[in-house]
Amino acid sequence: MRTWISSATVMLILLALIVPPASVGQTACQLNVPTLKLGVQGIASGAHADYGRQINMGATLAIEEINAAGGILGCKLEMRFMDDENKPATGVKNARFLVNEWGAHFLYGTDSSGIAMALGPVLQELKRIQFFTHAATHRLTEELVYDKKIKEIVRVSAPVYQDAIAAWVFKDNPEIKRWATIGADYEYGYATWAIFKDVMKKSRPDAEFVGAAWAPFLTLDFSSQIAAVMATNPDAIIATPWAGEAVTLLRQALLMGVFDKVQAWFQAMGGSVDVLEGISREVQDNRFKGKLWATARYIHNWPNTQINRSFVERFQKRWSRLPNYSAETTYSAIYITKLALEKAKSLDTDSVLAALNGMRIPTPAGLRVYRSEDHQFVYNVPAGRVVWDAKYPIPVLGDLVVIPANEYWRSPPFTAVPVGK
Amino acid sequence: MTYLRHAHIMSGPLTAALVAALIVLPLLAGNYLTYLTIQILILSLFALGFNLLFGYTGLLSFGQAGFYAVGAYICAKILLVQPSLLLGVLGGTVAAAVVAVLLGALSVRHTRIYFSMLTLAFGMMIYSVAWKWRDVTGGDDGLVGIPRAPLKILGIASISLSTIEHYYYFVLVVVLLGVFFMYRLVNSPFGLSLQAIRDGETRAPFVGMSVTTHRLLAFTIAGLYAGLAGALLPPLENTVTPVMAHWTTSADPILATLLGGIYVFSGPIVGGALFIIIKDLIVRVTVHWSIVLGTVVIILVMGFRGGVAGIVAGMVARPRAAPAPAVASK
Repeated sequence: MRTWISSATVMLILLALIVPPASVGQTACQLNVPTLKLGVQGIASGAHADYGRQINMGATLAIEEINAAGGILGCKLEMRFMDDENKPATGVKNARFLVNEWGAHFLYGTDSSGIAMALGPVLQELKRIQFFTHAATHRLTEELVYDKKIKEIVRVSAPVYQDAIAAWVFKDNPEIKRWATIGADYEYGYATWAIFKDVMKKSRPDAEFVGAAWAPFLTLDFSSQIAAVMATNPDAIIATPWAGEAVTLLRQALLMGVFDKVQAWFQAMGGSVDVLEGISREVQDNRFKGKLWATARYIHNWPNTQINRSFVERFQKRWSRLPNYSAETTYSAIYITKLALEKAKSLDTDSVLAALNGMRIPTPAGLRVYRSEDHQFVYNVPAGRVVWDAKYPIPVLGDLVVIPANEYWRSPPFTAVPVGK
Repeated sequence: MTYLRHAHIMSGPLTAALVAALIVLPLLAGNYLTYLTIQILILSLFALGFNLLFGYTGLLSFGQAGFYAVGAYICAKILLVQPSLLLGVLGGTVAAAVVAVLLGALSVRHTRIYFSMLTLAFGMMIYSVAWKWRDVTGGDDGLVGIPRAPLKILGIASISLSTIEHYYYFVLVVVLLGVFFMYRLVNSPFGLSLQAIRDGETRAPFVGMSVTTHRLLAFTIAGLYAGLAGALLPPLENTVTPVMAHWTTSADPILATLLGGIYVFSGPIVGGALFIIIKDLIVRVTVHWSIVLGTVVIILVMGFRGGVAGIVAGMVARPRAAPAPAVASK
C-alpha cells in the first residue's frame, strides 16, 4: 500500500509540474494578442540536422527584422523552435504542444514529407495554419489540400515537381537518351522519378528509362546502387538522396569512376548549401568533369535582385553561413504571414486564407505566386552546373537554366502520380 | 518477493484519488496535457507488459517494439478499411499476441544475452518488413490518414471519439483494465511461478513447473500488451511508421521500467510518466534534448538503483521490504 501511496504521490507531483502557468499581460497589438506566437519545427538532431538549423536561422532572422520594424500590426513576434527528430510522432506531438500548450498562432517548417503527411489532419483538429517550408511530397497539396480540403496547409517551398526541371535541362541534348535513377527509397524518390519520366516523355519521346536502384534512408554505402544502375549503361543519372547522403553518394560515384562513363549526373537537391559544402574539394579539383548538375528549392546566387542580395548579405552577417533553401523558404513564409495578416487584420484562419488568395509577393527566391486551388506558392528555381566560383567560399550552381515553373510543375486538376519502384 | 507482492495497486483511497484525478483531468487541463497523459498511459501499458518478462520472469527483451508495431500496423490497416475502433484495437492486439507466440516459441528456450539478442533480431526483422513491404505498410513513409474511428459496440451504439478528450477516456478505460488484469496476473499462482522461475530456474522443474511453457506464456502476454499499446497509437497520431518497430523504440519501456523500478508493480507506470514528462520538459528548453535527457536518465538510474518508485517504497516500508529478489527468495 505504501508503495502505491509513494507512486501515486510522485505521479501527482509530475502532473502538477506540467500544468501550464496562466498567461499574463496585454498589449496594444491590433490583433488583440500579447504577442504573435510562431511555432517552428524541423530536424535538429541526427544526420539531417542542418536543415532544421537553417529553418531556425531563417525564421529567427525574419522575426528579428520584423520586430525591429515594429512587428505586424503592432504585434511583436515570438518564436519557439522544436526538433521533430525526423519522426512523424514527434512532429505531431510538437504541433500539439506548440498550439495547445504554448499558444502558437501559426506553424512553420517541417523537413520530412512523412511528418508533413502526418501533420495535415492534425492541423485541421488544431485549427492552425502551417506554412510548410521544406517537405516536398506532392501528396501534401494534391491529396490533403486539393482532394481532402484540409485548408490549414500552405506550402511556401517548391515541391517534388521542381526536380523534373532536369527533363528541360537536357531535352536538347540528343546524345543523352538513356536515363537511370539512384533514388531515395521512399516516396520522395519514387515521386521524383515518376514525375521526371512523365515530363521527359513529353519533351523527348525517344528517352529511355533503363534502370532504377533505391537507397533506404541513412544509407552509408551506395556501391550496390551505383553498380546496379551502371550495369544498365545509362547516359545520365538522376539521384535523389539528399543532405549528407548526397555527399556520400557523389564521393562513392567518383571512386567507382562513374563520371568517366556517364555524360551527366543530376543531383536533385545538390544545390543545397550543405551538399555544396560537402563536395567543395572535389569541385575545386574538377573531379566531376563539369558533368554534375543540380537544383534545389532556392539557390543563394539567383535571382540577382536587390532583395536576394540583401537577404544573403544579412543572413551571412547574422549567421556566418550562406542560406540554405529551408532558411529562405521559412524566412519568406514569415513575410508572407505578415502580408496576409496586414490584409486580413485578423488571426481567423478563413480570413488569413482569404488574404492569401491572389497573393504575389517578392521574396529572396523571386516572385512567389499563391495558387489557391492547392495552397501552393509557385516560383521559379533554376538548375545549373556545379562549378567553382572564386567569389564564393563554396561551389555554386553556374550555367543556370531558368524555366518558368508552370512549364514543368504539376497543376490542378490533378491526376494520380504512379508512384512506386 | 515481498517487494512484488506488497504493492496493492488496485486498492486504497490514493488509488481511487489518482483514478479520479485521471477521470477529471480532461475537464481541468488543456488539450496538450490530455494528449501527453494518453502518451503516458500507452507507455505505461507497454512497460507493464515488458516488465512481466523482465522484472517477473527475468528475461530482458530488446524486441518488444516489434509487437508494438504489429499492433499499430494491424490496427491502422483495419481502421483504413473498416472504421471501427474496437475492431482495430482488438485486431492489432490479437495479431501481436499471435506473432509473440510464434517468435516466443523460438526465443524462450534461451536466456540472458542469447534471449536478448534473439529478441533484438526478431524485432529488427519486423522493422525490416515494415520498411520493405511498401505495398502493405507504406514503406519508409508509413501509413497516414488513419481515422480516429467511432467506438461501435455490437452494432447497438456508436460513440464518436473525434475529440482528444473522448479518445482519452477510451484509452484510460483500456489501460485501467490492462493494469487490473496485470495486477491479478502477477499475484496469481502463475505470476508467482514466473518469479520462482526467475529466481530458481533449476529448482522450478523439480516442483513440476514447465519453465518453457511459463516463459512462453509470459512472452505472449508481454507481446499482447505491447500490441495493445501499439494499437492505441494510430488513432491518436493518425500515422504509423517503421520507426515504431525499431530497437530504439524497444528502449522506451526498458528505460521507463528502470526509471520506475523493476521490483515494484507500479514501477513501469511511474517510470513511463517520468520518462515522458522529463523529455517533454527538456524539449521545451533546448533542442539538444537528447544530451540532457541522457544525462538525467544516467543520474536517475545510477542514483536510484531499484527505480524511483522502488526507492521511495523502500524508504516508506523499510522495516518490511526485502531489498532484492535474490535475497528474498532464500
